[in-house]
Amino acid sequence: MSQAPLFSSAGELANLVVNSNLIDVAWANIPEIQIDPAAFPCSVEPMVDYSPTPNRTIVVFASSPNCTQYPLREGGDLVQSSLFQFLCPNECSSVSINKAALYLFTSLESQLHGLKTKLSEREGQLIITGHSLGGSVAALFTLYLLDSMDKKSKCRPICITFGSPLIGDFGLQHSQWNSFFLHVVSNKDPVPGLFLPSRRSPPTSSHSQTSVYKPFGTYLLCSEHGCACFDDPDLILKILTVASSEVSGELQVVDYGELLRKLKNKAIWKGPQLAGERSGNPFSDGIVMELKTIGIDTAKHNIDISEMEKEARSLTKNTKASEAKKLNNIKKAMAQLEWYKKKAEDEKKGYYDCFRNEEKTRHVKVQGLMAELTTYWEDMVAEAERKPQKEGKSFRTGWLFAGTTYRRMVEPLDIADFYKGGDGRDYINSKRSQHYKLLEQWYKEAAKPPTREDLDSKKKKVSVLLTEDSCFWAHVEEAILSCQSLTNANSTTEQRESSWGNLVMFGEYVMEQIENCAVSPEIFLSGSSFMTWWGEYKAYIHNFRNFYSSRLVEYMKRGSYNQYG
Amino acid sequence: MGETVGNLIGLNDEVIHSVATLAVEAHNSPSKQFLVKKIKIRHDLSSVVVLAFSGSMLPEDWFGQPPFGETEIDTGKFPSLTSLNDGGDAVVNGSFLRRFNDVLDKLSHAKELKAAIEKKKQVVFAGYSSGGPIAILATLYFLENQTLSPRCLTFGSPLVGDRIFGHALRREGWSDYFTHFVMKYDIIPRIMLSPSSTEHKQILNYFKSKFDKKNINPAPPSGFYLTVMGKASSVASYEACHLMGCRNPSLDIIKSFIELSPYRPSGTYIFCTGNGNLVVVKNPNAVLQILIHCAELGESNTAEVEKRSLDEHSAYLSELKKICSDGSPATATLNDLGLSPQAMRCLQAAEEFENRRLRNLENIGKYMKKIEVELKELRKYKENAQIRRVGYYDSFKLQNENDDFRANVSRLELAGIWDEIKEMLKEFELPDDFEKKREIIDLGTEYRRLVEPLDIANFYRHSKDKETGAYVIGGGPRPKRYRFIQRWLEHREKKPFGSRSESLFWADVEQLGIDIKKKGYLQEIKERIQQVERNLIAWIGDRSLDDDVLLENSTFVKWWRDLPPQHKPESDRIKKLIGE
Repeated sequence: MSQAPLFSSAGELANLVVNSNLIDVAWANIPEIQIDPAAFPCSVEPMVDYSPTPNRTIVVFASSPNCTQYPLREGGDLVQSSLFQFLCPNECSSVSINKAALYLFTSLESQLHGLKTKLSEREGQLIITGHSLGGSVAALFTLYLLDSMDKKSKCRPICITFGSPLIGDFGLQHSQWNSFFLHVVSNKDPVPGLFLPSRRSPPTSSHSQTSVYKPFGTYLLCSEHGCACFDDPDLILKILTVASSEVSGELQVVDYGELLRKLKNKAIWKGPQLAGERSGNPFSDGIVMELKTIGIDTAKHNIDISEMEKEARSLTKNTKASEAKKLNNIKKAMAQLEWYKKKAEDEKKGYYDCFRNEEKTRHVKVQGLMAELTTYWEDMVAEAERKPQKEGKSFRTGWLFAGTTYRRMVEPLDIADFYKGGDGRDYINSKRSQHYKLLEQWYKEAAKPPTREDLDSKKKKVSVLLTEDSCFWAHVEEAILSCQSLTNANSTTEQRESSWGNLVMFGEYVMEQIENCAVSPEIFLSGSSFMTWWGEYKAYIHNFRNFYSSRLVEYMKRGSYNQYG
Repeated sequence: MGETVGNLIGLNDEVIHSVATLAVEAHNSPSKQFLVKKIKIRHDLSSVVVLAFSGSMLPEDWFGQPPFGETEIDTGKFPSLTSLNDGGDAVVNGSFLRRFNDVLDKLSHAKELKAAIEKKKQVVFAGYSSGGPIAILATLYFLENQTLSPRCLTFGSPLVGDRIFGHALRREGWSDYFTHFVMKYDIIPRIMLSPSSTEHKQILNYFKSKFDKKNINPAPPSGFYLTVMGKASSVASYEACHLMGCRNPSLDIIKSFIELSPYRPSGTYIFCTGNGNLVVVKNPNAVLQILIHCAELGESNTAEVEKRSLDEHSAYLSELKKICSDGSPATATLNDLGLSPQAMRCLQAAEEFENRRLRNLENIGKYMKKIEVELKELRKYKENAQIRRVGYYDSFKLQNENDDFRANVSRLELAGIWDEIKEMLKEFELPDDFEKKREIIDLGTEYRRLVEPLDIANFYRHSKDKETGAYVIGGGPRPKRYRFIQRWLEHREKKPFGSRSESLFWADVEQLGIDIKKKGYLQEIKERIQQVERNLIAWIGDRSLDDDVLLENSTFVKWWRDLPPQHKPESDRIKKLIGE
């Protein structure tokens, strides 16, 4: 079957942007020379216009003209910044920012902090803009501002930069926040390509990493003949490289106002007739033409379109409708597992032990469900993990509850699989999947401490709850192993002592779970591994430590568990 | 190949020309709100009654509140002009709607129109320029009332309604009643795509003095073309982004910062190339693209095109004369419009979007079979439960039997399918008439009546009302798929929104049980009990609710028996239903 045709909308999106007043408004607010040109070496200053039109605020980062010269020459290094650590999903990763932009931003920090507080209380549209390095600082400030805003915020920001150099590395990627950035770049402007390896002067320090700059956000790339919008960082990087290799060495200032006027005129002209061969494929024809209008010859500059087409095709598959379907399949798989659990309880074993000792046919079916659920949740967790901390957190709240139910339901089955063969040791440290760990960690961060009332209502319905600690059964398995080690004639004294210590701890752990109504009563079913452990443990105490007692031992001996749940 | 324009739109060529003549005449007779004329058709001795509306070039008759002067349509007069899912009511130009309302009273009393309705004559509503929107709204008004099936012809008419407006027209199958003639460069059919501005006023003033005839040769304005068409072009670009499947997340952000006209074309468009050739286009997305791209600047200079964009607004009669006079083939291909490669790609994307909707419909056909299989299973489940003397609602709530589990899986399976359909409808990814298809509404209604009680059982079994509030509250936890399907049925039966809520019976009962415990017998509660009783009697009566709710141990019967007698006004009739 032939595939549905695919289109490139880079030209149309650019036309939309150019014909709207949005960038005119932004550019019109950037003063030509506001700051004393003699200021040395460079300065950037925020200026705020609170109500040019109702519901609109404009923040301009004006920069002195020599900004483009001095700091850039030495400031091209990338440096790590703790100020922007919030962009990273976790402590291990890092983000590096252009030294010059960071220096300017840091020098204004206290002023910007006050501005941030003021702006995040405002409503309506917020346009943050700047030219050249002013744009870089504008972008950093926008990120800084986005971190302090939440979903309830009534302020909608957009950052528009004109001819700004690249700002940072890969750490700025993979974020929904990227959609708030629009970078206007002329193919005649040498500044945006300044830090690219081909042009850059030798690094000023041996530690500098020069080739890792990565564009982020949408680029409106313009030439005299037209414009196109792209957001694929690798393509943008290539285009910037080509463009910067073709501008003459002299640093010249591009008049973006004039350029925009020309482009507006172009917008209602019939586009150029495409010279050369046409393939009949609307995607490649379109993109070749779009690139041509901004001065890139795909053949000459060696740009591979087929790869882009492949990627575009893979993106079109995720529609809202297919998301809805996926979510329902997950619900269905969970319902089936719940039913499996219920059936297992009827057999007086609990689903953990049922699965552990399962005959083949049913086992395979349950494993299919597990695989389906695990794939889904691994993807969800991976997606959440790529986002900046704050954004990741709000992304998670919607489904963390469902994810927790999944973890409590499915992880015991993974544990059962692990210990089934008899060789499994120390699941938690040797085998536990990262996505379970993260799901648990996020749940703990989000959960409120339970109140007295919560506990009371929990007591009433403990019979339908899932065991809260999804690693409970791993602890039980380890306890059984400890029991075996104690009674094994070959064990050393040391091993025995450590095993006994583990068992004491396990007893306390279980008792705490029981008191918090955090375990499902199914653990007390006669055929469960927990009861098997209790049998062995009781026998050991009876034979070797007759005087030992603990709260759990008392609880079990008295048969109080019959009243649990 | 090639057809006469008359064949294309089902009206005699001669008639079309006469209609256009009357439309222009009416436009220039502002003292009368409309002109009526009977046009005899030579070869079969029948006749057509034409009503043409007058126009106005006053800016306030074009644009109300800036930038676009749009308003939600009055669904009392136009009940069909709304989205049956979450899209809201259609939006139309407020000034045009006001002018239609001004003429409506006189129109409905026009004796020529009454006579035509009586004799079942073909009626044509027509309008030139700003008379066009009135003709469009009048045609819709009579289509809504089903008193006649009028045709609508407009010449150089500005746009009237938004995307929902056009969607509703196509859903109701009315789109083919509307034919709009547009000259290749005429500025007026494009003018509503840009926000009101001083340039607009200049254009309207120019035409006003031209039509007033006091000033025979007014000086044409200049310098407006770039502004007006530039803004209009951003609408076409925005829609093209969607048609082309733009995945850039910045699109939505940028959209929220700019003002885009809400107006979109609907009906059949006939583009006149200016040399007697015609291009007929029905795909609304393609129409929008052509409106913009065929008027783009080419080799000729801006001033020339600008002048043409004004002149062509007055060129309809001469153009139609060329077209209709000799009955020779008049249709042309898109090539005659001289579109750029980029424009052709936009059209290709518009066509592909239509194809995708048809492919999606085909896929839904496969789902239909799956839905039927699952529904059959659930019907069996319901019957089996009844044999055990428990309603399937209560059996499902207990979740003790293997059957209950299987029913739950079926419920989730069906929810997945209908949710997918719901999302596709929201994104306009299915043909516009999907929600009017009889077999879809019937299947949906059966699904809703059989399966929604299971969702309600599941909801109250897990006491979800404590987290989210009652099952039925506006925008609350009730799954939207049921709300939409219910709306389809209500729309088909022309019943008010919310009147077909028999599938919510159990939710009403459950919530009342909870609220009585919480609040006691307040007046509000008493009224709700009475409503439940009446609903029960009515729905059992018309068989939209099954009598298994009346089984001895059902949640309903137990609850109802426990009510104090003074709060059961319909006690006798319900006792009879229960069989006491």
